[in-house]
Amino acid sequence: MECVVQGIIETQHVEALEILLQGLCGVQRERLRIHEICLKSGPNLGPVASEVRLLCDLEQAEPSWTVRHIGGAMRGAGAEQISVLVRTMVESKASKNVLRMFYLLGYKLDHELLRVGFSFHFNRGAQITVTVSSINKMLKVHATDEAVPVTPGIQLVEVTAPASAETYAEVASAVSSFCEYLAPLLHLSKPGISTGVVPTAAAAAASLMSDGGGTTL
Amino acid sequence: MTVKWILHWTPTPGSVVNSQILSEISQCVESFVNAVKDGRWKATLTFYRPNLRDQSIPSEFPRDFLGISLLEQPNKYYFIIRGNKIILEADSTILTIMEKLQSYKSKVALNFEGVQYKMGDFQMKVVKVVPNQAESLRGILIEIEYLPLSSIEKAKPIMEEFLEVWREVMSKKSLPGHFTQTEPHFAEYKLPDNYTSQHTAIQYAAALAQLIQSAQLRG
Repeated sequence: MECVVQGIIETQHVEALEILLQGLCGVQRERLRIHEICLKSGPNLGPVASEVRLLCDLEQAEPSWTVRHIGGAMRGAGAEQISVLVRTMVESKASKNVLRMFYLLGYKLDHELLRVGFSFHFNRGAQITVTVSSINKMLKVHATDEAVPVTPGIQLVEVTAPASAETYAEVASAVSSFCEYLAPLLHLSKPGISTGVVPTAAAAAASLMSDGGGTTL
Repeated sequence: MTVKWILHWTPTPGSVVNSQILSEISQCVESFVNAVKDGRWKATLTFYRPNLRDQSIPSEFPRDFLGISLLEQPNKYYFIIRGNKIILEADSTILTIMEKLQSYKSKVALNFEGVQYKMGDFQMKVVKVVPNQAESLRGILIEIEYLPLSSIEKAKPIMEEFLEVWREVMSKKSLPGHFTQTEPHFAEYKLPDNYTSQHTAIQYAAALAQLIQSAQLRG
């Protein structure tokens, strides 16, 4: 299970966001270059069509693979009251021929993208990960060297935290609280709920850049 | 990880595999001068079949897709498609993912239950193959491990020599059958010379396939 919120920020303000995150998290950022391959089951396979994502971490010397299954989001009155999305999510590290294995099992390529950016991993009431990345599409199948931004000038910010059925409320609260610190630069909300860029972003960014994050927002 | 060879028991035509033969084989191992019993071991092999929406449409999906869990790798799971010579090593959470995908269902599970023996630089396991929910003995395997080496090529002559000794010990019992090693074809699976749990998984899958084929031939 995980708690998730997303938002967008203009690329020109990413540096300011990084300064802010550095100050808030107290850890070093990690570079991110992930090839995300979304596969769908072929016709006639399974009672309903299924989707699975393969993530290849290209930042490391030896690319490493993760299989990720994202399930349905929590629903109901309780879910609507929470400002973060709570959904089932299962991951498994896998050896490098995982893509070939899934193709042989009858899965087909639905879409793929390349995320390039950075992330922060820290603990603040929950184990939180903030990822800031440009989303790029490949012009040829699996050609990560020839990727172009889907939305030039705009980057995606994701805040995620693992949770369980027992802890999701507490984790959601920790994520929400953290997101308030980022409010001057960007608005974070449940995926699928579009909020656009924040009007105060330019001013907040300028403030962060001028004194390296010393100003309290 | 050190090199292991896995051999399966092939009964002579007309004879069967039973607990008496298993007991005799165990005695052969115990008769080695410095053999010491060293605990139990277990692995499970599961055959999967595609979960088809319409059974009447011919399936183009693999028929030899199987998964293996090994006691020595409690957080890992191994998927093999033998026909395509592909093995995948994954965290055991891959099973949760496969359950959620529902594209493949487990069909039959078999347990490999072994007793381990230490004997100096070598270790042996006497392994019985039993269905998951039953007690009936379906096959017998032995696993020979040479502790000083991880290189499969370098270990080969030493393992062959040990096997000669083992065959000599076995011959004194005059049992109705013999042990055979199925060629695992590691290179076709693109595995390196350095031995790993993936090599173990492939050998158990190959040995079981051979056991099944022999049983089918015996009718």
